[in-house]
Amino acid sequence: MAMLAVLGMVSNSCMDEEPYSYDVYGNFDALWKIIDEHYCFFEYKNVDWTKVGQEYRAKLHSGMGSTELFDVCADMLKELEDGHTNLVSGWDVSRYWIWEQYPVNYDERLIDQWYLAFNYKTTCNVKYQVLSNNYGYMYYGDFSAGIGEGNLDAIMSVLASCDGLVIDVRSNGGGLLTNVEPLVGRFITERLYAGSISHKTGPGHNEFSKPYDYYIEPTSSKRVKYSKPVVVLTNRGSFSATNNFVSIMKSLPQVRVVGDVTGGGCGLPFSSELPNGWTVRYSASAIADSEGRLTEFGVEPDFKVDMDQNDMINGKDTILEKAFEVLDDMVAKK
Amino acid sequence: MTKKNKRNSEARAWLCRALVTAVTVLASVASMMAMPAAHEADDSIRVERPVASFFMAEVGSASVIDTYLAPVAFKGVDVRLEYERMQAMRFDPQRWVMQMHAGVEYGNLQNKPGNHTEHMLMVDYRWGMMRRWSNVLTPNLQVAVGGSTQLRGGAVYKPSNSNNLVSAKIHWAVSLTAMASYRWRVAKMPVVISYQATLPVAGVFFSPEYGETYYEIYLGNHSGLAHFGWWGSRFDMTNALMADMHMGSTVLRVGYRNTIERSWVNNLDTQIVTHMAVIGVGGEWISLGGNKPNGEKARIISAMY
Repeated sequence: MAMLAVLGMVSNSCMDEEPYSYDVYGNFDALWKIIDEHYCFFEYKNVDWTKVGQEYRAKLHSGMGSTELFDVCADMLKELEDGHTNLVSGWDVSRYWIWEQYPVNYDERLIDQWYLAFNYKTTCNVKYQVLSNNYGYMYYGDFSAGIGEGNLDAIMSVLASCDGLVIDVRSNGGGLLTNVEPLVGRFITERLYAGSISHKTGPGHNEFSKPYDYYIEPTSSKRVKYSKPVVVLTNRGSFSATNNFVSIMKSLPQVRVVGDVTGGGCGLPFSSELPNGWTVRYSASAIADSEGRLTEFGVEPDFKVDMDQNDMINGKDTILEKAFEVLDDMVAKK
Repeated sequence: MTKKNKRNSEARAWLCRALVTAVTVLASVASMMAMPAAHEADDSIRVERPVASFFMAEVGSASVIDTYLAPVAFKGVDVRLEYERMQAMRFDPQRWVMQMHAGVEYGNLQNKPGNHTEHMLMVDYRWGMMRRWSNVLTPNLQVAVGGSTQLRGGAVYKPSNSNNLVSAKIHWAVSLTAMASYRWRVAKMPVVISYQATLPVAGVFFSPEYGETYYEIYLGNHSGLAHFGWWGSRFDMTNALMADMHMGSTVLRVGYRNTIERSWVNNLDTQIVTHMAVIGVGGEWISLGGNKPNGEKARIISAMY
C-alpha cells in the first residue's frame, strides 16, 4: 500500500515539463522543431531544413517584438512553398498561396450573366444548369460543403439528358476529402484505384508508413450516374481536396481537364501550437495519385488555357469555350 | 555487452518480473474466486450483504499534454460524476468484496497564453474484487488487496487544429488495487478514512500513428492502432483518499482523487493528470424484498468496514 502511494507521488512529480521557453528563441525553436519532425515533403522539395533554420535563427535578437518574430517565422515557412503551411497569430496568417502568383482565370459574374443568365439551380453550394448547347454545367466552389447523395441525384437528374457535362472547380480551395468520393462515384461503374496515402511514423525526415492504397466505390446502381463525356475546369485556385478530385477525375477515360495547372496541395495538413499560442499548420501526410506521383505542385490539365481579356470583355469565358470544343470533339468521336 | 545494452536488458528483466508478479496476483485472485464457498456463514443464520452505494460529484484541475494535438500543456477545470458500488461477495462475504465504479468526466482546458481551448470528455467503468483483512495492527484498520478490470474511453478535442482535430482514447486494462480503511469516532459520529490505489498492469489501448489522419483510418488502414498496454508503453494510476461520515443511515463523503494516465507509443506522448475534490452521498442498503422469512436471525456483513 505504501509503495503504491509512493509510486503515485513519484509519477505525479515526474510529469514532463514543456520543452520550450516562452521567449523569442523558444518560440522560434519550437516552430522549427515542429516542422522538422512532422513535415512530410522535405525530400520531395529538396529542402535543407537545418540550413534554413540556421539562416533564419541568425535574424533573431532578444529584444525582438512579436510582429518582427512573426515575420521571420513566416518567411522561414515560405521556404517550404506549401499552400497548406500557415502560421496563425492574433493579427495575421502567413501563407504561400501559389494562386496569388498566377492569373485568376475565373470570373463568376461572367459565367452567371452570360452563360447561366442568372437562371440556375443551386443546392449544397453547387450551381447547375443545362446550357443552350445542351451541355450541362455545374460549379462546385467549396469541398467543405457536403453534398448528400439525394442532392447529387437531383443534380444528375437535371443534367442526365445533356450530351456532355462541364464540372467547374476553379477557385475551389478544397475542403473535405470525404466530399470528393460521392461526386467521383457518379462517374465510375467499378471500384476505382484512387491513389495511396503515406504518413509520418516518426520525427525523422524519411520515416514514412508504407503507402496505403485507397479506392473509391461507384455510387449504388439505384442512384443517377453520368457516363457521357465530362470536362473538368481548373485554375491555380483549385487546391487541396480539389486538386485531389481533379487528379482522380483525370484518370477516367471519359474525362478531360481544361484550364490552368491546379494549385496542388496533396499533403493532408496537421496543426500544432507554439508556446506563445500561435498555431502552425503544415503538410503531415502525403497523397499520391493513381500512378504514384505526388501532385503537391499541381495537376497538369489536358488542355492548358488561360482566360483572354478580350474574350472576357465580350462576355466569353475562354476556358469554358475551350471546354465546349473539347466536348464537341469527344461527342463526335463517341 | 555495452553499458547501455546492459541497462536496457536489466530494465526489460525488471519489467518482465513486474508483469509476472502482477499476472500471478491476478491469477491467484481468479482462482480464489473459483473456489467453493468454504467460508459460508453458519446455515442457521441468514447472511445479509448490504449494497454500499455512493454518488459523487468531483471538481478540480486537469493537465493534458497530447503531442498528437500539440506539444504544449493545456490546463483547466475538470468535473466528474461518479457512481461507486460495493458489496460483500456471496461465496465468502467476510473476506471478499466487490467494487464497481462508473464515471463520466469533462475537462475544459486552455493553453498557457489562454487563446486556445481543448475539451476532454471521458467515460470509464471499473469492476473488481478485493480480499480484505480486518483488525490489522489495530481493531480499527482494514486492508484489502485485489484485482479489477477497467474500460476507459473518450476524446480530447482541439477545435483550432486541422486533420488532427481529435485524439481518441480507449483503454482496457486489468489492474491491481489496494485499499486501507481506518474507522474511529469524531464527537460520537462514526468516520471512516480510506485510501485506495488502483494500478493497471496490462491491457490494450488505441493510438493513431505519429502523423496519421483519421481520414486514413476511415479509409481502412487499421495497422498500428492497437497497442499492448504495460509499463513499457503506458502508466496509469488512480489514488483516492476519502472520509465517510456516517449520519444516521446516510453517509456524507468528502475526499480527494488523483488520476494519472501516461502513454508513449508511435512516437506520441500523452499525459493526463487530474486532481479532484470529491463530495458525495451514499449509504448501505439491504433488500427486504423476496421470500425472506420474517423473524429469522440475520447477520449483516458490510462491504466497507
